Amino acid sequence: MNLLLDLSTPIVMGILLGGLYSLVALGLSLVFGVMKLINVAHGDLVLMSTYLAFSMMTSFGLDPILSLVIGMPVMFVIGFAIQRYLLNRAFKISMEAPLIIAFGISIILQNFYQIVWTPLSRGLTPSYAMLSFSIGGLNVPLVYGLDFAVSLIVMLALREFMKRTYVGQAINAASQDRGAAQLMGINANRVYAFAFAIAMVLAAIAGVFLGLTFPFTPQSGVSFLIIAFGVVVLGGLGSIAGTFIGGLVMGLAQTLGGYFIGTGAQMFVAYLIVFIVLGVRPQGIFGR
Amino acid sequence: MKVNPFRLRGGLAPLLIATVLLALFPLIGVPQNWLLYLFLFFIYLALANMWNWLAGYCGLISLCQPAFIGIGGYTLALMTWVGLPIWQGLIAGAIIAALFAVIISIPVFRLSGIYFAVGTLIVPELLRLFFLNWRPVGGLLYGKGAGYAVKGATTIPATDIYWLTLIICIGSVLMMRFILRSNLGLGLAAIRDNASSAASSGINVFKLKFYSFVGSAAITGLAGAAFYIQQGFIEPTSAFNVRWTMVLMLATVIGGVRLEEGPAVGAIIVVFLHFLLARYGGVSLLIQGVILVFIMLIAPQGIMGSVRRALSHRTPHLRRQPARTRG
Amino acid sequence: MPEEPLLKVSDINVFYGGLQALWEISLTVNTGEIVAIIGANGAGKSTLLNTIAGVIHPARGSIEFEGRRINTLEPFHIVSRGVCLVPEAGRTFPNMTVRENLNIGSYNSQARGKKMQNLELVYEHLPVLKERQNQLAKTLSGGERQMLAIGRGLMSDPKLMLFDELSLGLSPIIINELYRVLREIRARGITVILVEQNVRRSLKEADRAYILECGRVVLSGNVAELREEEKVQKAYFGT
Repeated sequence: MNLLLDLSTPIVMGILLGGLYSLVALGLSLVFGVMKLINVAHGDLVLMSTYLAFSMMTSFGLDPILSLVIGMPVMFVIGFAIQRYLLNRAFKISMEAPLIIAFGISIILQNFYQIVWTPLSRGLTPSYAMLSFSIGGLNVPLVYGLDFAVSLIVMLALREFMKRTYVGQAINAASQDRGAAQLMGINANRVYAFAFAIAMVLAAIAGVFLGLTFPFTPQSGVSFLIIAFGVVVLGGLGSIAGTFIGGLVMGLAQTLGGYFIGTGAQMFVAYLIVFIVLGVRPQGIFGR
Repeated sequence: MKVNPFRLRGGLAPLLIATVLLALFPLIGVPQNWLLYLFLFFIYLALANMWNWLAGYCGLISLCQPAFIGIGGYTLALMTWVGLPIWQGLIAGAIIAALFAVIISIPVFRLSGIYFAVGTLIVPELLRLFFLNWRPVGGLLYGKGAGYAVKGATTIPATDIYWLTLIICIGSVLMMRFILRSNLGLGLAAIRDNASSAASSGINVFKLKFYSFVGSAAITGLAGAAFYIQQGFIEPTSAFNVRWTMVLMLATVIGGVRLEEGPAVGAIIVVFLHFLLARYGGVSLLIQGVILVFIMLIAPQGIMGSVRRALSHRTPHLRRQPARTRG
Repeated sequence: MPEEPLLKVSDINVFYGGLQALWEISLTVNTGEIVAIIGANGAGKSTLLNTIAGVIHPARGSIEFEGRRINTLEPFHIVSRGVCLVPEAGRTFPNMTVRENLNIGSYNSQARGKKMQNLELVYEHLPVLKERQNQLAKTLSGGERQMLAIGRGLMSDPKLMLFDELSLGLSPIIINELYRVLREIRARGITVILVEQNVRRSLKEADRAYILECGRVVLSGNVAELREEEKVQKAYFGT
């Protein structure tokens, strides 16, 4: 009885965290689905949004969530540019070029953050960062609840967008058969750039909420990437629902791992699970 | 004699001469500073050759190298703590790295292409976290977190270390040369070109990749261990750092992937960059990143690739991997 | 007064995979015609269609549609001019429903406004698509998928439709159905170019034909004339 009660905190936290993790993974999943590229710079790009929000908070006192009004368009443009001018060219060069270039971008960003914002650990800490609310008798930080709510909203919005708008449908079509999509009048290059840009917007949102939830350093991008990748692997590609489940598993892995083995081991357990699932069932639990 | 498209023309003579010359350097009074940069060059070249083996010839973009480097280093350090002589620690480093490669090849080889890259990215991170928390022997000492000194490293003369790494480096070059001229090399060339047709012509794709993975891990571990003899201590964050991958990738790409002399040229440039940017810490890596992106976009065949292309026109083997078939 | 041909291909040389596939090909298609392009495997028929559709660009020569050059345009651009290629095996989007496939057909700007209109038409000509609206394309039979491909093509509001191996691998009953649709398409005023290995059938439906051999036009003309031609008789009808 006691054990159950004790477990409920990490479980609830894990679920809420899982929402956030699926949000982080959405962008990665979208890019992979469309371009068959695992953007190894994804985590660092998510972090860009975090640092951007941090700057705006420290310079102008702007609330991080509000700052998304600026952050999202900025990330959209950056994403569009990266795909259009860097990755697009890379695809034509060789199979490995996009990967290597993404890696280069990742390193550039990591060190850029280190130079501008120093290796010090930072956090997005507006006034409500310390508040908590209760679920069924448990005290849970407000940000966790926000994370979960926002990711649900974003996932639903994304699903509707992909289904109902021409751009969304075009992205879907281009990811299934690029050539046939072209024959339908779809400018595949532009669609790819859009997809990447949208992924960046998703990353922008994820970045802000990650910053609200956890402290971050210039190196945090790597863990964001591994988490996002883990979610994609666990949940399989191609379904937003799968990404959500994958996120839940990652979140629970982390909190339960921390509970049973110790907080130092949290990330270790999470990474290990990703690695094991990769080895055992690379197409993911729900993969097609 | 097997014809292999990637081999360097000319026999072993230039290599021998270079080796002898380099070996003489400490004896003829070359300044310590230079020897240090040469030492770096030897290590980087050995590592880059091994990465070229995997990424260039096998098509395995491994982001896993820091794992082997760190394992080589840690094995060495821990061996010295258990009282074993450094030389044994060195060999042990190579062996343990190879063993580790065998173990992780099981999950890792089930992944292809991009999955492989990220999968291998996770491994050094796992190890980093692991070693941050694990203290297998005794108390603390050098460095942050779970740093370990390499006991007795300071008793080894610098010139000995220099020659050691020179040997490892030359060994890696000879290894690459040997591989390219052997059946293994032909097989790899075939796999690189088209894995499925290679498989249907009887090449055991898995076996070749596996041997390459383990073999390169061993030498990478060896070079890593040698590096840490010079360093004198090892700690998780720098041992398993992505910096290593950056350096190797850059050296190989700048010099020319899939070319025997590529890594050598690239390693020279990378060391030179280090020399130039030594004072600018964080900017150094950033600039390396920019250079990597630039080179990939503008001259993906690297310096030697461009040179070769310019010099001779009857070289169909410089055909890059054909662009992804579209639509 | 002779009308301007709808499509005019002039002396194109096309390279594919590093080798020359088409040599100085010229052909014209007039509005309202059904033109067949026939020839053995590897003769270059598909390459020709792909070139017209903009997937490949000719190294030399020009292609004009409605008097304007299209040979340098990207495929998506050519679609908005009114040329639609229904590729070999249809290439419908497997993980989208029939309805979604049709929707995406009207992606190009000219067609968007007429989406609902065209959808009605498509359902009229191809009622099976209306039945299976919500089914995923990959669950359809081969013939149904081909019909979906045709429907999807119609959604783009084309003036000229190109069919690459429409009947490949399908049963005679289905083929009859498809050709019925083809005739209805023509009746709507859409011009058709047909590439087929099934010579008999395509000659039955077409007005004119071009015969390709090793990347060159070896014979062309009215179908009636062609059928009389000794060469054709020997090569394709075995008489």
